[in-house]
Amino acid sequence: MLRDFLVLAGSSILHRKIRSWLTVIGVFIGITAVVALISVGLGLERTITDEVAKVFGVDTFVLAPRGSFGAARTSEGSDQYALDLEWLRTLDGVLTAAAVRQRTAFVQGQPGPEGRLAQGFLPVMGLSPELITSFSSFVGSLEVEPGGRLFQEADRVVAVLGREVATRLRVDAGQTIVIAGDADKPEITFTVVGILATADDGRPQQGFTSGMPASATTIYIPYDTMESLWGPAQDVLVTLVRTAPGRDVDEVANRAQAELRARGSRVTAITYSDISSAIGTVTSTVSAFLAGIAGISLLVGGVGVMNTMFTSVLERTKEIGIMKAVGAKNSHILSIFVIESGMMGLVGGIVGTLLGLGLSAVASAIIGRMFDVRIAVVASPVLITATLGGSFLLGAVAGLWPARRASKLPVVDALRYE
Amino acid sequence: MPLLELAGITKDYRLGKTFVHALRGLDLTIEQGEIVALMGPSGSGKSTLMHILGALDTPTSGTAAFDGQSLQQLSENQLVTLRGRKVGFVFQTFNLVPTLSAQKNVELPMIFLGVPKRKRAARAKELLTKVGLADRIRHKPNELSGGERQRVAIARALANNPEIILADEPTGNLDTETGGTILELLRRLSVDDGRTVVLVTHDPEAVRIAGRVIRLRDGRTVEETANA
Repeated sequence: MLRDFLVLAGSSILHRKIRSWLTVIGVFIGITAVVALISVGLGLERTITDEVAKVFGVDTFVLAPRGSFGAARTSEGSDQYALDLEWLRTLDGVLTAAAVRQRTAFVQGQPGPEGRLAQGFLPVMGLSPELITSFSSFVGSLEVEPGGRLFQEADRVVAVLGREVATRLRVDAGQTIVIAGDADKPEITFTVVGILATADDGRPQQGFTSGMPASATTIYIPYDTMESLWGPAQDVLVTLVRTAPGRDVDEVANRAQAELRARGSRVTAITYSDISSAIGTVTSTVSAFLAGIAGISLLVGGVGVMNTMFTSVLERTKEIGIMKAVGAKNSHILSIFVIESGMMGLVGGIVGTLLGLGLSAVASAIIGRMFDVRIAVVASPVLITATLGGSFLLGAVAGLWPARRASKLPVVDALRYE
Repeated sequence: MPLLELAGITKDYRLGKTFVHALRGLDLTIEQGEIVALMGPSGSGKSTLMHILGALDTPTSGTAAFDGQSLQQLSENQLVTLRGRKVGFVFQTFNLVPTLSAQKNVELPMIFLGVPKRKRAARAKELLTKVGLADRIRHKPNELSGGERQRVAIARALANNPEIILADEPTGNLDTETGGTILELLRRLSVDDGRTVVLVTHDPEAVRIAGRVIRLRDGRTVEETANA
């Protein structure tokens, strides 16, 4: 019987082509907007998580100062922490680790023309050489000026300088600088092996994609050498840890965090899944908000369906009377009209989904061109199924009231209606 | 047992601000297989009576029984089923569904009774052939002449093999010749198939096929004559 009702409803829709199409247009505009917005949102989310995965690698986690990430973010968290890097490297499941520590130190460079030494308090960063050898995706492409180099694993008393600080200290590659550490430690003379090249536009290179741009005003020395100046690390900014192949990153990260905290390091372990879920939360909140706004147009579409159905009921009063006279129950009439409005919703849904996906592809291409990235085009089966189901439901619900009115028409009055 | 038995039927309804007493204590008995013509001036209650005979409407008071079954005791859905199975309607204005083909219009009463598609289609074609429209099966009502439309309506009325055909001015919108064919069709339903036919009519030709003529005035039976 359902199939017959589909045929009856369909023939009525086709009989009123123009009005039916106008109603369908009212529905699909809203659906198009919702589908396009959600699809673009999903595409952006996938693009961002893909990018993060590319830089981060799914086998790597970061140790950040406690309270600097996620829901537990607090303002009181210190931004540097104590760390025993050698111990961390021996932790079960850890393949390799690299850290960055930072101090401000009194530094002497080379004498100027009048014989005075260039000197001052300057930021000094200790970098594990593994940062460059094993975590190059974090560091990005660091380039030194011709004739220089970055440090290697065996290097101890060498330094790489930012361009600006090199100028201030009047040093070039091959010359030396002296850095003073804690009062009870001897000063150390470092050989400058390289000076960071500035990018073509004069700005310093965007070296550390993890949020620490290579600075033209910083002195970089090997991490281990920092200990000779300032003792065991109390001043770590960030640590990168790569897990052994096949190990569960989240498990190792949690254990590392717990054991480091027990040893007095105020750290938070951040894994790829932490970051992608944080990104997911943000992007899905944004797309839900936008889709909510677009949903208003769906409401308008629904009211359009309702209006069309009321007109249809009025026009077909006599037809309803005929159907009742030849044996249609109220429930039959109700079904026919609800199916009719649901079908208009569904057709709107189909057209809207296709247009929405097309629109999202175009929008992704435009956004991608604007920001010079490739944005993934996502056609989510869940989204499509939900949209088609939802649009039928929208139509059916909008048609419910007119359909109820139609079904309740007294048959004698309906037959008499002209 | 008579097919239809009405006793002391009254029917009041509101038309805008006025109360209309359409039927005022009407008695009527209709036997299986007869052709009855209901006549009377407009406002005499013919159509209201027709609605009550066809279980489209219930009387305000009095008793109405169909095949011995009291109509007042039936629920709305039971009335619908009774209508669907036992009553076939033919209207002055044909009342076909304009969006459906002749065949689908004839199938309509069977759809609501849940008759399977194949059986339905065969029955519709058989009935349309019987009324002489074998070549008009796929036509929509607006592609058919008045007489053809009324024949589709008669085929539709016969779809569920009803015991009684109620025809409200079936020749009212047709020329004399076409009207004649329609009346002959209705007469044969009684003579050949033993069906009961009730006609509401002004048409003197229609009166000729009736076995009994009942005249109404002001909601009451005023005269009943048996035709030879």
